[in-house]
This record gives sequence, structure tokens and C-alpha cells, in this order.
Amino acid sequence: MLIEAKTSFVTVDEDHDYAARTIDYEPENRNTAPRRRFHLYLMLPAIITLAAITIYPFFWLIYMSLHKIVIGGADRWVGLKNYAGLLTDEKNIQGWLMLAKYSGLCLSFEILVGVLLAVILNNSRFEKVLVTLVLMPMMMSPVVAGLLWYYLYNGTFGWYHWLFQSLGLLGETSILADYGSALWGVVIVDIWQWTPLITLIALAGLKRVPRDQVEAHMVDGAGPIRNFFAISLPNIYPFLLIGILLRFMDNFRFIDHILAMTGGGPGNSTRILPVYLFDVSFQFFKLGRGAAIAFTLLAVTIILGMILVRVFENPAQKKALANQKD
Amino acid sequence: MVALKIENVWKYYGDTVAVRDLNLECDDGEFVCMLGPSGCGKSSTMRMLAGLEHISSGDILLGDRRINDLAPKDRDIAMVFENYALYPHKTVAENIGNPLRLAKVAKHEIRKRVQEAADLLEIGHLLDRKPMELSGGQKQRVAIGRVIVRQPQIYLFDEPIAHLDAKLRARMRSELKHLQQHLGVTTVYVTHDQLEALSMADRIAVMHEGVLQQFGTPAEIYSNPVNAWVAGFVGEPAMNLIACSCAQEGNAVNLMHDGFKITLDDRLAKAALSSGERDLRLGVRPENVRLTADPDDGMIAGTVFSRQLLGSDMLVDVLSGGDHIRVRTDPKSPFEADEKCYVSFDFDHAHLFSAETGISIV
Repeated sequence: MLIEAKTSFVTVDEDHDYAARTIDYEPENRNTAPRRRFHLYLMLPAIITLAAITIYPFFWLIYMSLHKIVIGGADRWVGLKNYAGLLTDEKNIQGWLMLAKYSGLCLSFEILVGVLLAVILNNSRFEKVLVTLVLMPMMMSPVVAGLLWYYLYNGTFGWYHWLFQSLGLLGETSILADYGSALWGVVIVDIWQWTPLITLIALAGLKRVPRDQVEAHMVDGAGPIRNFFAISLPNIYPFLLIGILLRFMDNFRFIDHILAMTGGGPGNSTRILPVYLFDVSFQFFKLGRGAAIAFTLLAVTIILGMILVRVFENPAQKKALANQKD
Repeated sequence: MVALKIENVWKYYGDTVAVRDLNLECDDGEFVCMLGPSGCGKSSTMRMLAGLEHISSGDILLGDRRINDLAPKDRDIAMVFENYALYPHKTVAENIGNPLRLAKVAKHEIRKRVQEAADLLEIGHLLDRKPMELSGGQKQRVAIGRVIVRQPQIYLFDEPIAHLDAKLRARMRSELKHLQQHLGVTTVYVTHDQLEALSMADRIAVMHEGVLQQFGTPAEIYSNPVNAWVAGFVGEPAMNLIACSCAQEGNAVNLMHDGFKITLDDRLAKAALSSGERDLRLGVRPENVRLTADPDDGMIAGTVFSRQLLGSDMLVDVLSGGDHIRVRTDPKSPFEADEKCYVSFDFDHAHLFSAETGISIV
């Protein structure tokens, strides 16, 4: 409306209140109050949609965590009782410890194997075919991957079970039935499925390592291993950071394959916090307690994520990355 | 500091030949430029010297050591790259000291030698900066610093000053030349800029399409090019190469052209006759062409096509018989475009090339 007015103000009767206001309007002056309001109106549909799908559920989560939720009945205000309960909940504490162990194992192996694979694949003879093959696990649904490995681990007909047993690595019990090895069982599936993501990211980073720097370093007197640590690694570092961040957040959220394989068992040996959260909320329907766990999990994810970015990202590398984009 | 010997070296990329049967010898302490347009094989040769490229066949010897199968780190060479190839996450001091650090030289020794190299290059005050905080010229000095901090057997320079602006380039040419003489290390310098090669090298190896065309001192290359290609590539503004046919009329040997007919002097006439070639190309550098307004015996008539002021000289382009003749003349030259004029050649500095093979006849 204002734009229309701007172009036609010459013909508008100056006595008219509306016209008088628009005559003051300068096209260069883009940040006037009416203009800003107009922008707000334009953005409103998007804001409302966003609020409905993210902000409302977020506050509903906080609401739930502060109440005793009675399904089909009235919710009762309990204050911070749900949170207080978590401190003495042994399964909750154990869930956290297990989550840390699970995430640490997954991440470290995925980074190690992923980068190693990327280095091997980079500029190899059949790179394109091999990369496609390596990426295949990632394309599988996590539940399907879980079921697939569930069968491979199976004590009576599982192929890997048979293999490990023949190698003398395994006793009679299957991997997932043993308290000691069950966590490793699900960790291996996560590594199997998500190492390709790290490989892909590292490979993209390796492609951008400036060749002349590598060559200069070789002429300076470095062998391939020193070359990797001195030139390639600092160059793929920012890319890896993104990979670590993504995988760490996924580890805190995705439990599809665990639910498909063990459901948290045997005993509590694979009941990492998100699995316990699922149990509390949707097995025992303690929605208030569940919401409290979910909120703490969310808070810790955000805080850890921010720390990761702070610690790993130093300004020099940021600039180096920006320079590469030129 | 040793002599470098390249013997029958070939380089293939698939079926493409990049370097064809190259033979080259650089003396101890010599500054050799490899000159040629892009794709002439000069960079491939340098990369083979550095060990960054496999040698398809032939031998490269440093002193009496065959280095074909040595990894770059075992060759004892130092190289400056075209894009400087500095390590962005390292400081200037770390960049310069990197080869020493890799060679496990003691820390205080590294610090001392880095400081010496930096002082020599006048970048001592920049040692704590990162490469992205430096200008192009400073980066280039750091790249050179990384090379001179060592005492390798040979220096390799791959178009190190190609990305600098013209003024800085001129200064770096003289500094590099001075540095090389001061350090006395055998140096191979790759460039596509003939001015760089002429001004810096002890000897120039001119390459074209993977073949070494001529290897000689800058003066030799400039005044006695072995073929029309070298003649046209070296020198700025380029040599006039005019296609003519040669005919004997009585005692005189004439060069016939659409726009003119000129009689050769004894030296050129003898060579033209003994070669037996009919189709020739006359090569005359612009500074060896005279431009006048008044016609005289044996002068060529033409019209001024364009004039360019080069500062100390004026380059006048004269159109005669469909060919352009470049003349280097006085900057106060009065000729204007489309004006009629006359040119004559200084035969003492003229060359004749076979039109068919391009080989120099005289």
C-alpha cells in the first residue's frame, strides 16, 4: 500500500490525511516505523507457523515437566518435583553415564575410521564406485539397520555370531544377550551406519586441501604421514567439526536401532538415557517425569554443542576456510 | 650446490606428450631459466625435478646422484611455488622454519636461521603474522624465505613473481638475481615471461610443445634465435616475421612481397642462395627498422596503422602489402595514423628463416 502511495502521491489530494503522511515518505529511508510494521505483517504467517511447530511444543514440554500429567484428567502442578526426582533416579543417572560411554565410543570410532577411509578413498582408482558402496549403510533406515544386525548377531543363525564364535572371540551367548557386549553390539551398528557420513564430510574436506601446500610440504621434507597431520588435517578440521556436531546430536536423539535390537536390555545394559526417556514416557506414561528428562537432555545437548563449537573453532581456521571459498 | 643434468627425459600424460626427449645441463651455481608459453612442458619438467611428477623415461642427475626414484623429501631441493603455497595456519616464522623443523634442526638454530633469512628479505618485522595478513609481495618473500633458509643442492622457482604487480615484479627480478648470485646455489627458474628470463638468467632454455628449442645465454637467444618460433617469442615488442619469396635477378638477390621488393645485402644473399629455399621469412626486430617520411632507394612504402607510446619509445605499426611491420622509434615521432611513410631494414641485424621449417638460415 505504501509503495503504491509513493508512486502516486503527486496526484493525491494533499488535504487528505493519508496522502499527507505518505508525502513525508522517502524511498531511501527504509527503516521507518510504518515500513517496519509492514515487514512484520509480511513475515507474520511464517512466524505463526514456526511458533505452532516449534515454540508451542517447547513450552508445552516445560509445562509438562512442571506438572503431574493425568491422561484424561486434570494436570496437577508439582513445581520442580519431577526434576528433583531425577536426581535420585538411579536409572536416570545410569542412563546418562551409559549415554556418555555410548556417544564417546561411537564418535571416536566414527571419526577415526571415517577419516581413515576418506584418506584411502581420496584419489583412489575406483573412487566413485567405492564411495557409493561405502555410503550404502547410511541410506538404510536405522530400524532396518538394527533389525539387519539383530539377525547377524542372532545366537542360532546369525552369521557374525558364527564368525566371532569360530574365531574364539565369543562364548555361547550372543552378543546382544551378554551384559558386557550388548552395548558394543549397538555401538557397532551406529559405527557401521554413520561412519560413511564422516567419510563423506572428510572426503569433501580433503578435496579442498590445496595441492600446492601438500607439495610444498613434501619438498620441505615431509613424508605422507606428517603431510596428513600438518596439512590435510588442519584443512579438513572445520569440516570434521560439523560432522562431530551432527553425530553427537544424533547420538543423543536417535535410538531407533537400539529399540529394534535390544529395547534397552539385557537388564539395563543398553538403556542409554533417550531409551529410558522413551520407557518412562511411553511405556509407563509418566509424561511429567519424561518431560523433565527430555528437557534436561535438550539443555545438555545445546550446552555441549555450544562448547564443541567454541573449543574446536578457532578464528584462524575460520578465516582459512573462508579464504578457501574464494 | 651441484650441477644438474637432464638426460633424454620424456613425460607422458596418457597419450599426450608433455616433454619430448629433453637434454639439459646446468653448471654448478648457474641460474637457468626455462622459458615458454603455457603447456610447453616447462612446468612438467620442474615438477619432475622436484619429484612431484613421475618421470616417464630418461634420467635426472644431481651431481652424480640419479634422483629419478627419490621421494621429494630425499632429493635435497627447495622450491618456490607459483601461488606461494604458504601454510595458512602457521605464522611467517613457522612457515620459513618448516623445512628445518622437518629436518629436526635444533630450535635455537631454527630461530637464528629464520631471522637471518627474514632479514635478508626484509620481512624480519612480519615473523609473527599469519600469511593471510600479508600482501602479495610479502607472501612471495616468505615463500622465498622458506627456500633460502636451507642449503639445498638446487633451487626451483615456478613462476614465483607472476602474480605480483608490474612494479613489484621489476624490483623482485633484480632482488632475486642478486640473491642467487649471493647464495651461489644452482637455480632452475620457470617462467612464461621472456623479460624475466632475459633479465635474470645466466642461460635460458626456450621450450615449445614439449621440445627444447634453444639453450643459450640471453644475448645469444635474443640476437641469434635458432628458429622463427624462438625469434617471435623472445623480445617485446616481438620481432617482425615477414613471409617473402626469394628470387635471383642477375647479381642481386631480391625478396618479393605483395607490398614491396627489397634487395638483400651480401651476407643475407649468400645465405639465402646457399640454403636453396625459395619461401623465406625475413626477421627484423622493431628497433632495427627505420621509419622516414621521405622515400629513398630500397625503401618500403606503407601507411601508419596505429601508434603506441611505450614511454621511452614509440611503437609504430606500419601496414604494407597486407603485413604489419612494427617499428620502434623515437617517442617524438611525428607520424599519425593513416599517414603515408617509408621503412627500411637494418640488414646487419636481420634474420632469414625457412618458411617451411622455421629454421634459421642466417
